[in-house]
Amino acid sequence: MYRRTAVLLSICLCAARLSLQAQEFKLFDREVQIHGFATQGFVYTSDNNWLTMKTADGSAAFTDFGANVSMQVTERLRIGAQVYDRNLGNLGEWHPSLDWAFADYRFKPWFRIRGGKVKTVIGIYNDAQDYEFLNMFALLPQSIYPLDMRDANIAHSGGDLYGDVPLGHRSGTLSYTVYGGERRDSYYGGYPYALRKSAAPVDLMSSGGPQYGADLRWQTPLPGLLAGVSRMNQHDEGKGTFVPFWNPGAGRIPYWADAKQYWLNQFYGQYSKGVLRLDSEYRRTYIDAVDFNGTSSAQADVRGWYVWGSYRVAKRLQLGSYYSHYSMTTVYGGILGMVFPPRVDTSRPENHIYDKVVSARIDLNRFWNVKLEGHFMDGYGDGPFPDGFYPGDNPAGFKPNTNALVVRTGLSF
Amino acid sequence: MKNQRLLPLVAAVMMFGSVHALAGNVRIIANPSVRAETISASEIKSVFLKERNSLGDGTHVEPVLSKGGPVHAAFLREYLGQNDDALQNYYRTLVFTGKGLMPKILHSDEEVVAYVAKTRGAIGYVSPAVTLDGVKTLAVYEAEKDAPRKLMARVEPEYPAVLQSNHISGTVRLKVTIASNGKVEDVELLGGNPILGEAAMTAVRKWVYAAGRSRTQTEVSIPFDAGG
Repeated sequence: MYRRTAVLLSICLCAARLSLQAQEFKLFDREVQIHGFATQGFVYTSDNNWLTMKTADGSAAFTDFGANVSMQVTERLRIGAQVYDRNLGNLGEWHPSLDWAFADYRFKPWFRIRGGKVKTVIGIYNDAQDYEFLNMFALLPQSIYPLDMRDANIAHSGGDLYGDVPLGHRSGTLSYTVYGGERRDSYYGGYPYALRKSAAPVDLMSSGGPQYGADLRWQTPLPGLLAGVSRMNQHDEGKGTFVPFWNPGAGRIPYWADAKQYWLNQFYGQYSKGVLRLDSEYRRTYIDAVDFNGTSSAQADVRGWYVWGSYRVAKRLQLGSYYSHYSMTTVYGGILGMVFPPRVDTSRPENHIYDKVVSARIDLNRFWNVKLEGHFMDGYGDGPFPDGFYPGDNPAGFKPNTNALVVRTGLSF
Repeated sequence: MKNQRLLPLVAAVMMFGSVHALAGNVRIIANPSVRAETISASEIKSVFLKERNSLGDGTHVEPVLSKGGPVHAAFLREYLGQNDDALQNYYRTLVFTGKGLMPKILHSDEEVVAYVAKTRGAIGYVSPAVTLDGVKTLAVYEAEKDAPRKLMARVEPEYPAVLQSNHISGTVRLKVTIASNGKVEDVELLGGNPILGEAAMTAVRKWVYAAGRSRTQTEVSIPFDAGG
């Protein structure tokens, strides 16, 4: 694994030395652009294993990369596609995926459509969460953008209506996105992994369903100040196999689960002035599901928020810090309710993660950066909702606090 | 014919109006295929942020950037209100989320002029000192409220016979107040021969502009040429 990572990194570095400009060529007299990126991380934690890696020993199983091609077919029509692959501990496992692929048609600046597999616009960073080179931190606040739940919200197969509406000289600009489609989780994502590693293991073979929502953001007349709100609704259906924990003698049988309610609300604001940037977001996700073939139910209420600030102290050095607050309650019913007590006390470490982060970003050049980051976490939130800490990765049990050192480098062209 | 009539107006607006072709240290240039003669600061921002790819008259435009340098820095400061790092991140966000292509980035003013000259719809920015060849300069007005009102009906002034016969020429400058319905509400002489000015004001009071959201003011200049 280390050798494979080293080879990949070497290839990327060589490619970067050869040319870090976007590759452009003409096809049918139309300009075609190719862009790409690659990142490599290393994580060491004081106690608990984190993010499905063996981080207590130090782990470099943290690699991702992608490449895209785009073409302006006509003045109004653009097409493009991106392939993405990652290996994050036990997630991804080098299985490439079609990250996005769509056609985009612009009727007016205030009315455009795109269809295909489309990145989902939620909050400030959802559609750009894979691209560490675009922001200050090695890891985005995991209370809102958990690496292991990437599959659930990152993209939908369907379509978007979107546009920018100027509100006049003194009122700023309103940008909207309305979308609908289908979410389909990878088998190598966090949710199937969490179920495989849970106290009642399930081999989830398929998970997903319809997903629709909207985002509205206001670029206020005060330069650099943005405010917005997002909403998503979805219907998630899971199928697989499991051994009933109440009757192991039955052997492996088909499994299904169905979300009666699954939605998230997100509110956000951002202010940037010169080399200073301040961000804050709040997200609430609520899931009410029928589980284990209708024998059980679970209601999960997940709330997260963060505040972050970053400041460029020199041309190549940026410093930043954030506080990320995550809490979750879960109430079980049916057979699950007989076995697992409700988890409603968010002051307990198993129901929260409070993460204080300090970070430094060094830009070696315009295309290559290195980040050093310290995380100081209170709690491990090992509930059914994937949030970085899994009992299966920590067989000896959890310690209440975890400190982590994250080193990450990224290239993009 | 229509263009000929508008030319003096555009020239006057460019010389004396609230627009300026050379905002600060930056000149906005465009390929001759771009029909517009003027562009607002907010249009420049939305074109270079790739929020729109056409101007108000429907002309397709594609932004061209310079790679670094004082003109680039001045352009970012005056029109986009962000530094180069933030702009590059913005473009890369568009590229990697599939929302847009990276704009053309060239290394010198000369390259920008050459590219804009040969590329239909191209719009860029250069130093005012650079030699322009095969491109047009767009006059920039600061905000939509400053946009010149379109002149719908123009009455030519009568040349006072006594001045014309004595070969007395000159240009008068007028401040024109236009009501929201487009009618000229008031005309004030700012400079020039008072007799020519009186003739010009008499004619301008009969002009009709396009209706607007509110009363606006503009400056116009009217040349009087007695000939040989």
